[in-house]
Amino acid sequence: MARFAPSDPVDFVVVGSGGAGGILAKELSTRGMSVVVLEQGPHVGPLDFHHDEFKHFTLAAYQNQRQLQPQMFKAGPDAEAQPRMAVMYHRMVGGGSMCFTANYRRFRPLDFNERTRLGPIAGTGFADWPIGYDDLEPYYTRAEWELGVSGEPGPFDPPRSRPYPMPPLPVKSSGVLFERGARAIGLHPQPAQMAILSQPFQDRIPCQQCGYCIGFPCEHRAKSATLYTVLPVALASGRCELRTECFVAQVETDDRGRVSGVVYFDSQKVQQRQRAKAVVLCCNGAETPHLLLNSGNNRFPQGLANSSGAVGRHLMFNSNAIVTAQFEHPLNDWKGAMVTRIALDFYDTDPARGFYGGGALDGRFFGYPLVYAMRGAPPGTPKWGAGFKQALRDGYCNQMDVLCEGTSLPLETNRIELDPDLKDAWGLPAMRVTYRDHPDDLATVGFLQTKALALLEAAGATRTWARPPAPQNFGVHLLGTCRMGNDPATSVVDSDHRAHDVPNLFICDGSSLVSSGRGQPTATIQALAFRAGERIAELAKKGQI
Amino acid sequence: MSYDRRDFLTLAGTALGALWLGADPKALRASLTRARDAREALARGDAPPPFEVLTPEQAADLEAIAARIIPTDDLPGAREARAVNFIDHGLATWAADRRQDLLDGHAAFATAITQRHGATQRFADLSETQQDEFLAVHEDDDFFEDMLFFAVAGTFSYPDWGGNYQGAGWKILGFDDRYIWQPPFGWYDAKQNGGPN
Repeated sequence: MARFAPSDPVDFVVVGSGGAGGILAKELSTRGMSVVVLEQGPHVGPLDFHHDEFKHFTLAAYQNQRQLQPQMFKAGPDAEAQPRMAVMYHRMVGGGSMCFTANYRRFRPLDFNERTRLGPIAGTGFADWPIGYDDLEPYYTRAEWELGVSGEPGPFDPPRSRPYPMPPLPVKSSGVLFERGARAIGLHPQPAQMAILSQPFQDRIPCQQCGYCIGFPCEHRAKSATLYTVLPVALASGRCELRTECFVAQVETDDRGRVSGVVYFDSQKVQQRQRAKAVVLCCNGAETPHLLLNSGNNRFPQGLANSSGAVGRHLMFNSNAIVTAQFEHPLNDWKGAMVTRIALDFYDTDPARGFYGGGALDGRFFGYPLVYAMRGAPPGTPKWGAGFKQALRDGYCNQMDVLCEGTSLPLETNRIELDPDLKDAWGLPAMRVTYRDHPDDLATVGFLQTKALALLEAAGATRTWARPPAPQNFGVHLLGTCRMGNDPATSVVDSDHRAHDVPNLFICDGSSLVSSGRGQPTATIQALAFRAGERIAELAKKGQI
Repeated sequence: MSYDRRDFLTLAGTALGALWLGADPKALRASLTRARDAREALARGDAPPPFEVLTPEQAADLEAIAARIIPTDDLPGAREARAVNFIDHGLATWAADRRQDLLDGHAAFATAITQRHGATQRFADLSETQQDEFLAVHEDDDFFEDMLFFAVAGTFSYPDWGGNYQGAGWKILGFDDRYIWQPPFGWYDAKQNGGPN
């Protein structure tokens, strides 16, 4: 690994080492650029990873934490702000790519030009992207082949230039039942595309079917996280230094309004300053706008790169809901990679439904032991005692969920701001999150729930239940807050991910998305990162930064 | 603050949010070290570790309450899972800021027992029927809500945290903590693929 002095301006500082930052680090360093990656979380690896729900969920060992980074939440623009953790992300080398379920679906052409196809939607920031599916297709392919994705062509796939690098994972009982039910109600189920290896790939072994995907890093290195794929390449380039437990407080600008470096707190909370010729923010859709808003100065009074006022706005969580079912025989769905079958029949908006939106269904079981004991038993189960215990005994091995994954409309009022009062552990203004789903988003997942219910009943469920969709007050998909666009008055970055206002500041993560897709944004975030890396390096080589 | 009951209850409607409470990283690190020590102690012998916070009387009551939340039948319950050791270890570490509330809640609970059953009576001494009757009356109290969280967490959390002794909670569910599985996983995929059921 390279080492750089903070006083020497490196070509790029990349803030964040997650799904996007890891790729940018590799793409820039292997194209001859010097790169310092600053990651707020620790550098941990497979030997640190156990199936310890209490550590991972309850104590948030590798997530943003209320003690370090408290948040305020408003359940809508007119609601009162309450202290509450409303957005969650992973703070560790590899970031969210370590702990996501690993669904890996491309967006379709319609996700990029839906505004033109459907027309405006009043009261929303519904917009087309400045790029289309064809622009991104080569980079979806690179992501699949460089990171390692399993899957096979499905009936609704967008065009692809290369097949999947490896076949789908073996089907589980939830997948068998999902497929049976889906076909019975006339749908077209297909194997799930997953960023999990089904075969040996590069230097990694395939999935060992331990069952711990969502919320957990993979102890077998079979999930294609940036820690296991692109970051080692970046570090081996000799031009990339990774500094961990470093929290970036501010992006600094010079008197010409250009970025000159970043100020950060190291693991000892000592303030440091890394000089850089350019900065790339890959912090995620909550922390990237938070950092920009905290980087305001006399020249940039609304926060850095925010002359449009769009920084932090148009936050999209992806609408979602669950339907749960029990079956006569054991599924043992706590074993194995989480999702093996999906259905994309309801992807497109159907005007006949009377509302905007579409989505996907996937079969899975969110049933780690502690999670299940806390919330998995059917409605009406006693809170305690023999009846409670019996319900846990009866349900655990015989239960599955269908997750309904839907759209979120971009709303100006759903946003990340600085809280006027609350401070974080570094003394900086903390994040205030405002979120209320658009009625169409709730209608979309409500519609998907009726289909999931029919699917599970057709599969032979002995019992089904669902909680009606309710406005979300907690998000893990953090999208849209520094949206890409051609117009500097309404967007934050251009189609090269360059900030309209600051020529040597780039932003690439979930915040770049203009629309929310159908519940699975990671493939698109990572395709954008491969594309951004290539384009930013080109600009640098041409002296255009 | 590592554990807030209100947050737990309000977050419980969301999938990942259900258990996402947030922790003080310093306390977490200390607790992880203790968890490792506890694991090594367990490897040396079967005796539960000495209590760090609870008096024997408090421990007896909390264990008895947990045992009514997840009772023992032909399979182990919260008692065999040593949920009370999980609670004690938690109150010493990751839930230290909840310690006073929980102990105050228990003190009020113990007083209510003496008012109902006599000055020398403790919850742990009552019959199971009497215990269940008493808890049914108090099941919406903050103290009992706290105990629901602690008893369930103490029975089903990873054993490093002091409970779920010898996988007692996992036995209730039929879960087996392995890091490698192979298909067939369940009845339906075995049947489809022609494997053994």
